[in-house]
Amino acid sequence: MFYFFVRRLAVMVPTLFVISVLIFIIIQLPPGDYLSTLVSELEAQGENVDQEKLDFLRQQYGLDQPLLQQYALWLKGMLQGDFGYSFEHNRPVVQVVGDQVLLSVIIAFATILFTWVVAFPIGVYSATHQYSTGDHVLTFVGFLGLATPNFLLALILMYLANVYFGTSIGGLMDPKYLDQPWSWGKLVSILEHLWVPVIVIGTSGTATLIRRLRANLLDELQKAYVVTARAKGLSETRLLLKYPMRVALNPFIADIGNLLPALLSSAAIVSVVLSLPTTGPLLLKALQSQDMYLAGFLLMCLSLLTVIGMFLSDLALAALDPRIRLTGGRQK
Amino acid sequence: MRRRTTLALCAILAAGLIVAGQAPAQADSKTKRQLISPFFFGHSELSGALPKVERRLPRVPLVAHLGPKQTVGRHGGTLSLLVGRERDTRLMVVYGYARLVRYDDSFQLVPDILENFEVKEGRIFTLHLRPGHRWSDGHPFTAGDFKYYWEDVAHNPELTPGGLPKAFLVDGKPPLFEVLSPTTVRYTWDKPNPHFLPALAGAAPRFIFRPAHYLKRFHVKYAKPQMLKTAAAELRLQNWAALHSLKDNPYRFDNPDLPTLQPWRNTTHGPAQRFIFLRNPYFHRIDPEGRQLPYIDRVILRVSSPSLIAAKSMSGESDLQARSLEFNQYTFLKEGEKRQPYDVRLWKTARGAHLALYPNLNVADPAWRKLFLDVRFRRALSLGINRHEINQVLYFGLGTEGNNSVLPQSRLYEQSQRFRWAEFDPKRANRLLDEMGLTKRNGRGLRLLPDGRPLEIIVESSGEHTEQTDILELVHDSWLELGIKLYSKPGQREVLRKRVVSGQTMMSIWSGLAAGIATADISPAELAPTNPYQFHWPRWGDWYRTGGRAGDPPSLPAAKTLLKLYHDWETATSHAERDKAWRQMLEIHADEVLTFGLIAAIPQPVVVSRRLRNVPEEAIYSWDPGAYFGVYNMDLFWVTRGRKN
Repeated sequence: MFYFFVRRLAVMVPTLFVISVLIFIIIQLPPGDYLSTLVSELEAQGENVDQEKLDFLRQQYGLDQPLLQQYALWLKGMLQGDFGYSFEHNRPVVQVVGDQVLLSVIIAFATILFTWVVAFPIGVYSATHQYSTGDHVLTFVGFLGLATPNFLLALILMYLANVYFGTSIGGLMDPKYLDQPWSWGKLVSILEHLWVPVIVIGTSGTATLIRRLRANLLDELQKAYVVTARAKGLSETRLLLKYPMRVALNPFIADIGNLLPALLSSAAIVSVVLSLPTTGPLLLKALQSQDMYLAGFLLMCLSLLTVIGMFLSDLALAALDPRIRLTGGRQK
Repeated sequence: MRRRTTLALCAILAAGLIVAGQAPAQADSKTKRQLISPFFFGHSELSGALPKVERRLPRVPLVAHLGPKQTVGRHGGTLSLLVGRERDTRLMVVYGYARLVRYDDSFQLVPDILENFEVKEGRIFTLHLRPGHRWSDGHPFTAGDFKYYWEDVAHNPELTPGGLPKAFLVDGKPPLFEVLSPTTVRYTWDKPNPHFLPALAGAAPRFIFRPAHYLKRFHVKYAKPQMLKTAAAELRLQNWAALHSLKDNPYRFDNPDLPTLQPWRNTTHGPAQRFIFLRNPYFHRIDPEGRQLPYIDRVILRVSSPSLIAAKSMSGESDLQARSLEFNQYTFLKEGEKRQPYDVRLWKTARGAHLALYPNLNVADPAWRKLFLDVRFRRALSLGINRHEINQVLYFGLGTEGNNSVLPQSRLYEQSQRFRWAEFDPKRANRLLDEMGLTKRNGRGLRLLPDGRPLEIIVESSGEHTEQTDILELVHDSWLELGIKLYSKPGQREVLRKRVVSGQTMMSIWSGLAAGIATADISPAELAPTNPYQFHWPRWGDWYRTGGRAGDPPSLPAAKTLLKLYHDWETATSHAERDKAWRQMLEIHADEVLTFGLIAAIPQPVVVSRRLRNVPEEAIYSWDPGAYFGVYNMDLFWVTRGRKN
């Protein structure tokens, strides 16, 4: 077990290294650099840019150096905890990201909570009342949630929220609370705005979760041990929660690995549509404007979280499920 | 309609001339007007934190002249605007539009921050500051601020590594800079420099002065190098130069500590989703009744994703919005008028053509290059475009049809130039093509090149607007009548540029002439091959820009003439000579049909809150000259009291 643990940890290092190379290559793939993107964007709006200023910036940002050297500098900086400088925001990358992380995490947690609270009872109900009217209705709703494009739902809900509840369009709080210190009013305002993104991001996840839980439970409910337990007089609820439910949970534990990066990326497209101040749109903007160090930092964070998340969920699975614990390490 | 606008413009223009001519400000100061300080500063004035308004204004303040429908307003109020990005804080420099010299609303150059200026022989520029003028922090604004920029910024090899900015060079030579008195500076070139004043008046102006008292603490010449080094390292910057240029960004306007001369000053340190601009207590303009401008106390810029700005404007979240709104959202915005207290106005845009087709005269394929260089071919293609149809189908007939040339609002406008070779006449076009010997056709009715290939033109676009594809679809249909097939190929902006410059692109679609409302004092560089990003002659432009090191010399006689005329314009010493050069260049463009203008003056929707006054009903929405709202004096906009309705 210990050996397994150490080996998993050791593999993470080269993985991250390879990822960093890939990230750098991908960011550099589009033609031009941050400055040329900036110039063409400004020119599209009819503005013109000083050549002298550009030369100065290009030199300052080190964009005139060969790629390999730029990569080496970036890597060296990261190892020392310096993640570079955001051209777009004119300040170190870490400062730019800091503000957005909290809100991303809030949204992600709210979404996960929503998903689980809604999906578990429905999933269990659907499985235990298979092919009943209730099951059919819920299944239909679930499929609807799965099939509706997120961004469309976002636009519709945003419109309705504005017209019927007077909630301001987009954003996570009323404009007057932007950049204000935390207060009760601000919290309420956030809660008022939060439900739209939570429902939008949550629906497809909820639908998937319902289907999976239902399928897993159905598998288990027909097994002999359930019949045995029932024969021995265990109450239905106790039986359900104690045995088949536990087994059916495995896939969700395995999913925790994906939750961690989701905390940070939190549904980029929906966030862009809703103009949420989270890291998703930040990443998208950074990629579009070729703000390479910011984009690189965010992508590295996502990769790191994925790698760590996978590691954690492996550990959790091993801890929770004796079958995995007992057979997992054995070589056959 | 057009006639009426022209008349109105003439009227404004005449008014502008009178004002510019006699500098009424001086007369006013003698009559000792009563100055009115905004209530906003009442408290600070009482507590002594701020001097009285008489001491805050320069000795001779600028008296703003109201436009034809503008009225005297009241102090106070907040204006909310939406922007797409954080770095759009610079828009407040654009809208604020306080410049040394500026364009008035008839696009003539008048002094603004300067009390006045003199130009001799087009090469000696004497600038007189307003005595008693102060930066937004109360420090005097003097010739020393010009000296600091000239000696310690522009001539510092670390701050300006490429040497003196090109706008300062005439034939590679810098001017002589002199400080004549604490409020007078002079720049003297050997030869005329027509670029100088327009650069100062631009929407993104050349700032030739800096708040020296503030910036000196970041300059290695005045501060302790060791302290600068630690300060730079704290911000993870490489050296003092990077630190200085971070602090010194008068255009980006993102440093609240940097003193300014604009009507509103930024008070928010980024990163933020909301930037608050407060009135500059030392702003130098007053209204005719003596109120210190601007009228509005606070301007709030809120950052939102550009795609949501139309929806947000519709729900009444912006008091004044044109940015990120497009013409095709007009009906949508109009619908919101019923629910929200705003009006949607349509302003004219100022490009010579909203969109134009650029045949690549430097295309790599020799057969095609020969065709494009033949004026008959270009004329035939232009005659084969049904501009009226484009206008009706896509723009409800609200656009102006015609060539890629100056607009009727420009003084250089000649009606014949706008419509020459631009009416839809397929018969005549076909005759021209037959005359060229392109008479063979294939089975599908397409004309054939001498080498047997069919005439199939691929038009490449940047792929950002579906509008372009729609237009090309219409051009495709009308060109089929000439036996020419059009294919449209959306690409990506950067890729398109590279393909054009390398001659792979045959034809591209792009926006037209930027200087659609040009006066003779604005540079006609766009009309001559001066830049590799001119999509009809990129290689000739490259040749000019690099001084012959790259690209090819122009081979078309018309292009050579244009370059010569551009040179004439640059070296002209009088307005009349510049006017002549401009007109000749426009004439050549109209006759040679170097680009195919499609449609111009597409209206720009402007959402204006009903509480906001003094925003013109009809105006021109233009970047440079114009600075969007800038020429219409945003400091004169005011908000009515009372609730929104």
